[in-house]
Amino acid sequence: MVTMAVKRVEIQAAQRLRTLLREYFLDLDAASRDPGRRVAWCSSAGPCELLTALGFEVYFPENHGAMLGSKKVSAKYIPRAVGAGYSPEACSYMNSDIGAALCGYSPLQEAYGVAGPPRPDLLVYSTNQCREVQEWWNFFGRRHGAVVLGVRPPLHLGEVAAEHLRFVRGQLAELIERIEARFGLKMDEDRLREVVDLSSRASTLWRQVLDTARAHPSPLTFFDGLIHMAPVILRRGSQTAVDYYEALLAEMQARVADGVGAVPHERHRLYWDGMPVWPRVRDLSEKFFDLHAVIAASTYCNSWAFDPYDGGDPLLWMARTETEVFINRDEEVKEHFLMEMFQRFDIHGAIFHNARTCPNNTNSRFGMAQRLRQRLDTPILVIDGDLSDARFFSTAQTLTNIEAFIEQLEERLR
Amino acid sequence: MSGSLYVGVDVGSSATKCVLLDGAGRLVGRHVVPSGFDFGQSAEAALDKALLEAGADRSAIVHGVATGYGRERVTVATQRVTEITCHARGAREWYPQVRSIIDIGGQDTKVIHVGADGRMADYRMNAKCAAGTGTFLESVALKLGISLAEIDALAMQCTTDTILNSYCTVFAGTEVIERIKAGQRREDISMGLFRSIASRVVEMLASRDGPVGVTGGVVAHCRAMVRALEEALQTEVLRPPLPQHAGAYGAALIALNRATAHRAPQAVVPTRCET
Ligand code: SF4
Repeated sequence: MVTMAVKRVEIQAAQRLRTLLREYFLDLDAASRDPGRRVAWCSSAGPCELLTALGFEVYFPENHGAMLGSKKVSAKYIPRAVGAGYSPEACSYMNSDIGAALCGYSPLQEAYGVAGPPRPDLLVYSTNQCREVQEWWNFFGRRHGAVVLGVRPPLHLGEVAAEHLRFVRGQLAELIERIEARFGLKMDEDRLREVVDLSSRASTLWRQVLDTARAHPSPLTFFDGLIHMAPVILRRGSQTAVDYYEALLAEMQARVADGVGAVPHERHRLYWDGMPVWPRVRDLSEKFFDLHAVIAASTYCNSWAFDPYDGGDPLLWMARTETEVFINRDEEVKEHFLMEMFQRFDIHGAIFHNARTCPNNTNSRFGMAQRLRQRLDTPILVIDGDLSDARFFSTAQTLTNIEAFIEQLEERLR
Repeated sequence: MSGSLYVGVDVGSSATKCVLLDGAGRLVGRHVVPSGFDFGQSAEAALDKALLEAGADRSAIVHGVATGYGRERVTVATQRVTEITCHARGAREWYPQVRSIIDIGGQDTKVIHVGADGRMADYRMNAKCAAGTGTFLESVALKLGISLAEIDALAMQCTTDTILNSYCTVFAGTEVIERIKAGQRREDISMGLFRSIASRVVEMLASRDGPVGVTGGVVAHCRAMVRALEEALQTEVLRPPLPQHAGAYGAALIALNRATAHRAPQAVVPTRCET
């Protein structure tokens, strides 16, 4: 077979992203050593805006879990957490993060020359994604003698009713009161509005960036999304994130105008549901690239694409984003969301990742893949793996599975 | 012998199979060798033996398609296709009426569904685990110190509906020992192993419409496997004449098709990623 080496077209904003991340982690490190500043840890879909508005620097442990996965070191540290009594089948972000802490390792050491994650004064989780974050935060709360607080929205909702939002808004208001009392702070309402507005603007821009993938060829893939979603999580509520996504959006729009595709000769448009396989992102990305298949959309990258803020009650907006997030919805809402996404992005086939240690972010456990396959006549492949623990993932078997899937899509084109 | 030949090579985790077809699609040579450590060498050895059977030499080969776990190592191949597509192709050539194909290999098991139009509609591979594969049988046989053929012969004399409960290979080994200690007959325990595989395979079937075909090394060597599948599915399953060669046969058919279809260049130039 004749093969031609084709170079990936680099996204220019990547350079800016590297600077943004470096500044973020260096500043967090400085904050954790400055007695005049405070650090809060927050779950990725948690109420980080109110923490920022109260003057905390916010750090997101899940991002650290993903870094451990990408660096392929999770399997090295998970056994330490298992030895400490955490199930090997529990969240591998959590296990690798706990294990790495017990061994005194952090990928931030090599990347930014800092000792590791910033020492927390406060840890805040939301169980809108899972209860694992609660136990994960509790571990570090005990370790650092820091207070752990949480928000617990009603789970797995179909319709989100006004009373659900009132209930969650009430929890957020109470959370603010407890933090104020504990740290002697006072929430500045105008500042909260400002942070929520910035958060919503970054999120809206991020959604617009993802939407450029509707173009044929798509200017970006899921794998690009995994890199460029960092600011919408880590720098949510800052002007920096807004500026970043304005630049990225302009670049993607220019690509669309110039007909630049993320994969050469785009032939198949795919959807990815579930968590990424962080230790194998490169293998997977290269495989799809070689097969002329673009993963044009994903549930994961869309998880931080919130509805815009209308300038009203900022806590209500936060309550809505907390509660309406995809992972917290019932099967029917999820199914409708996926059907809309398939249509919106002109999807030819979808891949569902059955992540062994994250049932929460896995949607192939209750027949959804089969239902969608039947309803839409869209081929769906379920692959077994994990977000971070490579021991649950067979590269050879999965790559063969993906090749066979593309052969199946090719047959449909004939 | 002269004329054009089309070769299919299936490099599986346990065995490497080679099939040669002539221009009319007749099977003129075939061979199986253990895959061993060097997949490239095994492919060459299987091809040489198959050529010997066909009474031909390499110059007669027009196209070759490689499939299976070690397909990248087959130098005679002009194309590489996954074992899923190749098994479906091979089985359908033997039994055009099949709608589901179960392939039980050494390392993995696949269930492939084909539509009435012959196109692959859906497929599944077993999870990353020995459950439901030939490895499961081999490892229990090793533990008991008997061969696969002996387990099969014993199983065919089973008189009960014994089934092993463990999917896990390690637990199955322990369960076999417990059952021997409990005084159960070796014949029944042996059949229990095949039933355990069959129940795992049946879980992978997304649809039970239409005739079912079985391929792969395990059904080639073990009649008890076919019996266990028929019990589990409560229907007769179609076992082709050369179940172990289905993948290589399918690959050779794809090679032949490629030659007989028009010789237009591929729509897309295959590319290789450079990051
Ligand atoms: S959602 Fe999944 S990956 Fe994320 S913290 Fe919870 S269990 Fe871990």
